[in-house]
Amino acid sequence: MSAVPNEPSQDDILRLHVTAKDPEALRALLRDTRADVGGRPHVETDGRIGVDVYTTADRIPDLEREGVTVTRTGNASEAGRAAQAEVGSGDRFAPDDAVPHGLAAKLAG
Amino acid sequence: MPYLNVTEVESAVTSLATAYPDLTQLVPLPNTTFENRTAHALVVGEPSDTPKPCVMMIGGVHAREWGSCEILVHLAADLLEAKRDGTGLGYGGTAFTAGQVSGLLHRLDLVIFPLVNPDGRHYSQTVRPMWRKNRNPANAGGNPNPDCIGVDINRNYDFLFDFVTAFDPSSNPRVSNDPCDPQVYAGPSAFSEPETQNVLALLEQFPLTRWFVDVHSYSQDILYNWGDDENQSIDPDMNFRNSEYDGKRGVPNDLAYAEYIPKGDEDAAVLLAEAFCHGLNGVRGLTYKPITGFHLYPTSGTSDDYVYSRNFADPDQGKVLGFTVEWGTEFHPRWAEMQQIILDVDAGLVQFCLAAA
Repeated sequence: MSAVPNEPSQDDILRLHVTAKDPEALRALLRDTRADVGGRPHVETDGRIGVDVYTTADRIPDLEREGVTVTRTGNASEAGRAAQAEVGSGDRFAPDDAVPHGLAAKLAG
Repeated sequence: MPYLNVTEVESAVTSLATAYPDLTQLVPLPNTTFENRTAHALVVGEPSDTPKPCVMMIGGVHAREWGSCEILVHLAADLLEAKRDGTGLGYGGTAFTAGQVSGLLHRLDLVIFPLVNPDGRHYSQTVRPMWRKNRNPANAGGNPNPDCIGVDINRNYDFLFDFVTAFDPSSNPRVSNDPCDPQVYAGPSAFSEPETQNVLALLEQFPLTRWFVDVHSYSQDILYNWGDDENQSIDPDMNFRNSEYDGKRGVPNDLAYAEYIPKGDEDAAVLLAEAFCHGLNGVRGLTYKPITGFHLYPTSGTSDDYVYSRNFADPDQGKVLGFTVEWGTEFHPRWAEMQQIILDVDAGLVQFCLAAA
């Protein structure tokens, strides 16, 4: 596990990167732990296979076993709380003339 | 414009319908959620005397995958504004002419349902950001564990719903019959949830739907059928309806089972998925991969496999190719990055529709 500057709260869900020596070892780990995964398993540069796993700190020991590496890459709950601050409040489309506009450039002709 | 709250997603849809009455149809969904929320879908297309083939797109299924709603609201807004003003659309390095936009809306209707799971999104945006399921407490059995609330909507469709019977026990499909599973509880029965019932109602209201896209995150892929096992186009009898193969599904790289897909359907699905990836790649160079759902992980009860399976179970149902977009590399990108992802994915979706049309 990598050192981290900020300790998560007990219920925070951490983002981990878990690697195993081959697909079968990773499948066995995920089968045994019923872990919440994000993304698709990828072959790493060293030939191992890795995937993102989301779990609380107290469940990390369930993932740690011979041949498996577990690296904390973030605090998903903390990132989510930061994103919550970017959620609109009220209703920006309530005024009669308020209409959503897309982000694409509108190109002449 | 930061992330939309649940009121704003619904309000965005109705605002677009009001602003573009000649190019849209507002479709109320019949079922209210456990927290008594209602939703609408928006049909975007040029008026036509005869029904047109439809691309149906849904989003906001998994609560924590917020950006899916914004991707679909922005797609609708861009197409409508461009059609009204006679402009093309530019998504970074991917551009579409006014003629392409107009032709797309002439030949197709887009049925856009951006927020299937408003209760879950509200909970994720205000309480637990990593929440995935809906907020139905009916199956908790009085258990005070908060994880016992909710059903994974994208395991609640009627495709191999009895996964315990259908799959090889060693295959570890990503689904659970434990109501307290915090992520992938499939529910007590297929279509038990108002959210899946709403998608089903939409499919029945638009029988000319030929393509279906469910927008999720994350893995930077577009998934096509099937999700329960590898594909094969040789043995039509080796299929999801055949109980001879119960207990054999879901194991990669084995000979016991592979799901039947007609070669023409798989070729068509791959071409559309590649079109999506091509349009997306032009925006800022990102590479998304077309893969079958099974190559993400084995599943049952998903929307994309359900919509495609309908035609096999009942040939009177039109054939619908099912896709799932898995955008991004995290569940909650900061809004500045999410805006770039919206451009990526919307360019891909426009290219997808042009290839379908």
